[in-house]
Amino acid sequence: MALQALKTDINLNNNVYKPKFNSLVKKSFDTIVIGGGLVGSAVACGIARKGLSVAILDGGDRDYRASRGNFGLVWVQGKGADYAPYAKWSGLASKHYSLFEQGLKEATGINVGLSQNGGFDFCLTEEEWDERLVEMAAVSRHTHGEFKYQMLDYVELKQLMPPISDEVVGASYSPHDGHLNPLYLLRGLQNWTQSLGGVYLPETKAISIRALKRGFDISTSNAVYHSEKVVLCGGLDNQRLTRDLDMFIPIHSVRGQLLVSERVAPFLTHPSLQIRQTDEGSLQIGDSHEVVGLNDGTTLDVMAKMARRAVTIFPHLSSVKLNRAWGALRVMTPDGLPVYHHSEQHPGAFALSCHSGVSLAALHAGFIADWIVGEETHPLISDFSGDRFDVPIN
Amino acid sequence: MSTDLPEPEVKAHYDVVIIGAGAGGISVANTLAEYGVNVVMFDESSRPGGQIYRNLETNASKLTRLLGRDYAAGKKILTTFRNFIDKGLIEYYPKAKVWYLNSDNEIGVSKSGLSYKIRAKKVVIATGCQERPMPISGWHLPGVMSLGAGQILLKSASILPKSTVLAGAGPLLWLLAYQYRRAGVKVEAIVDTAMPSPWWSTSIHLLKALVAGEYLFKGLYLMLNARFSDVPIHRSVTHLKAVGNQQFESVSFKCNGEHYQIRADTLLLHQGVIPGLHIAEAAGCRIQWHGPQQCWVPVVDKWGKSSQNHISIVGDVSGIEGAKSAALSGKTAGLRLARELRKISGVQLGRLSFLSRLSRRRHQAIRPLLNVVFRVPVTYLNPPDEVVVCRCEEVTAGTIRGITKQGCMGPNQAKAFTRCGMGPCQGRMCSSTVEQIMAHELNRSVADIGRYRARPPIKPITLGELASTFSSPES
Repeated sequence: MALQALKTDINLNNNVYKPKFNSLVKKSFDTIVIGGGLVGSAVACGIARKGLSVAILDGGDRDYRASRGNFGLVWVQGKGADYAPYAKWSGLASKHYSLFEQGLKEATGINVGLSQNGGFDFCLTEEEWDERLVEMAAVSRHTHGEFKYQMLDYVELKQLMPPISDEVVGASYSPHDGHLNPLYLLRGLQNWTQSLGGVYLPETKAISIRALKRGFDISTSNAVYHSEKVVLCGGLDNQRLTRDLDMFIPIHSVRGQLLVSERVAPFLTHPSLQIRQTDEGSLQIGDSHEVVGLNDGTTLDVMAKMARRAVTIFPHLSSVKLNRAWGALRVMTPDGLPVYHHSEQHPGAFALSCHSGVSLAALHAGFIADWIVGEETHPLISDFSGDRFDVPIN
Repeated sequence: MSTDLPEPEVKAHYDVVIIGAGAGGISVANTLAEYGVNVVMFDESSRPGGQIYRNLETNASKLTRLLGRDYAAGKKILTTFRNFIDKGLIEYYPKAKVWYLNSDNEIGVSKSGLSYKIRAKKVVIATGCQERPMPISGWHLPGVMSLGAGQILLKSASILPKSTVLAGAGPLLWLLAYQYRRAGVKVEAIVDTAMPSPWWSTSIHLLKALVAGEYLFKGLYLMLNARFSDVPIHRSVTHLKAVGNQQFESVSFKCNGEHYQIRADTLLLHQGVIPGLHIAEAAGCRIQWHGPQQCWVPVVDKWGKSSQNHISIVGDVSGIEGAKSAALSGKTAGLRLARELRKISGVQLGRLSFLSRLSRRRHQAIRPLLNVVFRVPVTYLNPPDEVVVCRCEEVTAGTIRGITKQGCMGPNQAKAFTRCGMGPCQGRMCSSTVEQIMAHELNRSVADIGRYRARPPIKPITLGELASTFSSPES
């Protein structure tokens, strides 16, 4: 097939094709995934597992990469309080994770350090606690009780987690939550895809996409590629890419800033939305939200605020050294929910946008890949179609 | 929380903030103070002088004599600096770490366990240079140090090693050999890894360098001094390795086809200095690859202005030129800032800066020769697979090569995939090596490969200090 023709041209020892400029021969694949972040790599991996030829077109080293700024939570609690399908979808992802992670480990030898023994979301005021209670009850209702949670007051929390300070009012807890190393996950997904014959093309920025009678032509910074199907996973660039195929998926960026400390002796047995301890011992502190356009830098005020919150919850961290801080841009839709869209006008063109690249990876490599290759469609997928943003003009 | 803090002594706004009290930073401060500009200077050390004039104010005259005439020459600007501080014209904070600077001109400085957010109309980066990492097998063993660290021991009158081998390339190797021998340290051998260029390519630069004859004399003097001492000198050395279990025991290498192994207490490694760019990059200043110096330098004009309009970069951090040139670049940049702050006229600027600009060009004339004579061979920039590249996270050259073959497109992706550069040194010890490995593997230039993005904190800070960050209401 198409892949056979390519084999002479591509160094398939490691499945990296080093593109040359002005290449006149058009390369073709069954499916091309645009974007080598967590969403694109997971989907490509799922497609490669079906034995189809797939290529990932990825950008450069300094592009906006939400996947490299990820906090690493596999999170369920609080998600979908306003939208039942999202609550169900997140719960499903958590359930599928360990099997998916095992597969990744067996295929690539990469250990992403998954731990799913439940997570906390700390409340520093009574109001926060009350709001959280309502939120958790809603998620539980939406999932017909499948989502389990507990609201803990200070005394109950202190027993589970002795180092917390008395400024913490309480926390919500859910046994479905977990965390992992998001960077190793990304590396693992790309490795897995390549080991199954998928092709990874770095520094190959998609410039324009043209729908043909059959398939698509994708012009990139290096060459023109052809595919039967195209999956747009370009993160913030999806707004531009979808326009080429007459889709309308509004996306904006929400900056998150993150702090990472030096390694400390293990003391945090569970992850939380505010702070988690990685398996090699460093602490990640996060959860800031700012709408600042395409500025992925840091600010002193937000960094100081996050540090204040961390030492308010765990006072003994005040002497721990900060190792690194950075900002990254989340890919956000107007309602904050994922978009899984199949174009009606150009069948074979898909657009995927979401900010939960880690939490939902197991489903992206599973049900979403099934849906794209044309196998059974999970009933929840249609609830995330991009049609919900298709507001008629006037 | 910030209301519990004592009133900070550091103010929220300044006209000019100078980072670093070395030859360059002090010259900027002195020049600005002379024309009545309100200036504040933050420096990490407890005394001014930077690396080159470290402890010059306090060292006994015997030690100062031992360190040589160029060291003592710093006395003049240090005295002027002290005078301005005493008159209240320069606000000087020793032991103050500038740990944060972003492209929006927010400055984070930490002092005595508290952190402050300040702003300034102009920022001067004068943070000097760092040694170029020399990744060889065994360089992470205890007992192996950088040559610069070995010189700090001497300047801070600390305990010196009993016996040592000096290995690598660069003028500092010969200077320290001279200083160590005068201080009574047994130098077991000088192991020179520089690959001499053919005489005809050197001679062009040599002619140019004649205008800066004093450097030639000094260099020749130091080399001859070593030559006619009892210290064995090995030149054009390859396969340099530090050997030892747990602790450094001996150094092994090849020279003229013969294999050598020399025992010593310590091994001091050095292969030249490169600008310490972390802070300038964090502030969003553009940088470019400097081929002859084999390092990245910031883009600056002749006045020291960076691509960020409010930031000036002076001294070795703007490109390696040495202490004298640093002082001259500091004076020029200071005059330019005085002009921008309307303290002098344009005509005055031209007149006052003329001599320092001219004199700096004379000092620059020696550089092309040094770049050729002490050029670092590729084998010491792009080490073999088994060598540890990132000492913080113990990542080997082989790992970096491996992921590059799998399609990893640059240092930032490599950092994400291997943790290389994620440790407390913030990539200072591995970035130059990772760039070289990837450039060779992908057959592209280092300029094309690019660098790690500079991440705060620029200097170590605790979460408690960060949490204390005091920002005054108006900022």
